[in-house]
Amino acid sequence: MSLIQLKRVCKSYQSGAQRVDAVRDVDLRIAAGEFAVLAGPSGSGKTTLLNLIGGLDQPDQGQVLVEGINLAACNAAQLADFRLRRIGFVFQSFNLIPVLTARENAEFVLMLQNAPPALRQTRINALFEELGISGLERRKPMELSGGQQQRVAVARAMASEPAVVLADEPTANLDSETANGLLRLMRRLNRELGTTFLFSSHDQKVIDHADRVILLKDGRIVA
Amino acid sequence: MDLLRLAWRNLWRNRRRTWITLAALAFSIMLVQASHNLSSGVYAQMIESGVRAGSGHLTVYRSGYLNSRDEKLSFDPRGLLPDLARMPAVEAVLPRLHLGGLAQSSRESRGIVLTGIDPGKEALINPFLRRLPKDRQLPDGVSRKALLGDRLLRELQLKPGGKFVVTLQNRQGEMISELFRVHGVIHTGMRELDRSLVMIGRQRAAELAGVPGQVHELALIMKDAGQPAAVAQLRRLLAAERDLRLVFWDEAMANLANAIKLDYASQKFIFLIILMIVTIGVVNTLLMSVMERSREFGTILALGARPATLHRLLFLEALIVGSVGLLLGTLFGSLATWYLVAQGIDLRHWIDSELEFGGVVFEPVLRAVWDPLWMLQIGLYVVLLCVAAALYPAYRAGRIVPAVAMRH
Repeated sequence: MSLIQLKRVCKSYQSGAQRVDAVRDVDLRIAAGEFAVLAGPSGSGKTTLLNLIGGLDQPDQGQVLVEGINLAACNAAQLADFRLRRIGFVFQSFNLIPVLTARENAEFVLMLQNAPPALRQTRINALFEELGISGLERRKPMELSGGQQQRVAVARAMASEPAVVLADEPTANLDSETANGLLRLMRRLNRELGTTFLFSSHDQKVIDHADRVILLKDGRIVA
Repeated sequence: MDLLRLAWRNLWRNRRRTWITLAALAFSIMLVQASHNLSSGVYAQMIESGVRAGSGHLTVYRSGYLNSRDEKLSFDPRGLLPDLARMPAVEAVLPRLHLGGLAQSSRESRGIVLTGIDPGKEALINPFLRRLPKDRQLPDGVSRKALLGDRLLRELQLKPGGKFVVTLQNRQGEMISELFRVHGVIHTGMRELDRSLVMIGRQRAAELAGVPGQVHELALIMKDAGQPAAVAQLRRLLAAERDLRLVFWDEAMANLANAIKLDYASQKFIFLIILMIVTIGVVNTLLMSVMERSREFGTILALGARPATLHRLLFLEALIVGSVGLLLGTLFGSLATWYLVAQGIDLRHWIDSELEFGGVVFEPVLRAVWDPLWMLQIGLYVVLLCVAAALYPAYRAGRIVPAVAMRH
């Protein structure tokens, strides 16, 4: 059974007076444990598709099923709970909370889940160790390099042990070496923990690391 | 606890803005607390002065006398006086008789209010009599010595020691005239009183009016004016005297009470405006911080937080701002009150003449009194206003759409 299944999904936006069809009639299946990338040029619908899978947006038509849950049938509170417990997000601009330390940022989702302090500590220590950012726990995002910030963001995404990590252009603000290092780390987490990773990217490095490339053009899957 | 820490740190992202907001909050709390304490001090002083020179904290009249001032509504207090004097809550009982009449010197004549007092008791309480030198006080017992208001003295073209005649109609309807000598001069600072007041011994006044032993009022000076037990005891004592009424100072001196009420109402209105301005400032600060953090709030919502979490966060931020403002404001308010209690504001530097307010002359040095309960109460109102000020910003934060907010 697929972890993620999209059935004839359509999504359009109003951009000023113009209507933009961001996703058109998309059918897609992602199996558990995949390391896949939604590739395509800017405006091809990658981020929209990622938002639909992550429950950040609702389709105009069709169904988005994650672990068998039809997200189109969920209300706002159910979607928030779904994101909190089943999805990990990694964003292009890291989106760390500037007033929190690296550890507090990584713990943030666990804090929202009201996880006990001991569990938080164990998980974050292990993840920081795994991601090679031990010793940076007390630093604020401003005191970290781009690569270090993105690793903290990955730790935040992985901390709640989600079913799937959705990463929107995670290497866009990183240099090649840092980007490759980060991708290798995520690949290792994918293999070791079995977490499903779905990226949106037009970065060749990401495409090279992926098991599967889903090519989008004008809101449709073309390959 | 984590959310509280986040709220605290969020406030210090823009230190200057937070400090400006806190300064505005603290300043307004200080202003409101110090103004209230100063007003309370001035009102208390005016009431005390009015009570001691006028009606007492409580007054016993015959029914109808207070409104009509009908001289016929006198009563014999001899049955009551010993019981009243024995009450531990009563500091002094001052029997008085008020009579309208005419004073004539060899050159002028003027309408007067002849007040018969018990000189020995009155001199211990009445601030105007206390100011007189001992040899100018009225003697107890029957005498022809009188105290005159200073304006009346001038208008009658008299000097201390001078003679004048008082003419009045007695209870039997006869015109009675009696010669008196100016023994002392009273200056109350109240124009009307100073041009009409003549004080003589009560016994003499009662005989003159043809009502021996009678009075128009018993002014009661209490040790603790607000003691309900004492008031209840007084009511029990007067229960047998059906024709007598116990009246509180604010009814007996309605002018003073109303002037204070009006003055304090206008102050409250100013307090309200100050607090409204501060609240708008807090709303503005919180709203700006929500706008600035819309991407961050979008991220928090995307990570799985519910809008209620953002509501809580913003209410906590407002609560912290209000609480720190309360602490700083109360600290400064206490310092200002301490100064106003210890030093006061000396109006003598600015004003030459005496100031009359609500029929009472108030001291030229305005002093505050401590009202800690009210200080706390107004501080808590400000905290509540701050939390209320977070309502709209919190609503805005909760309506952020994560996918849209993160695009910006």
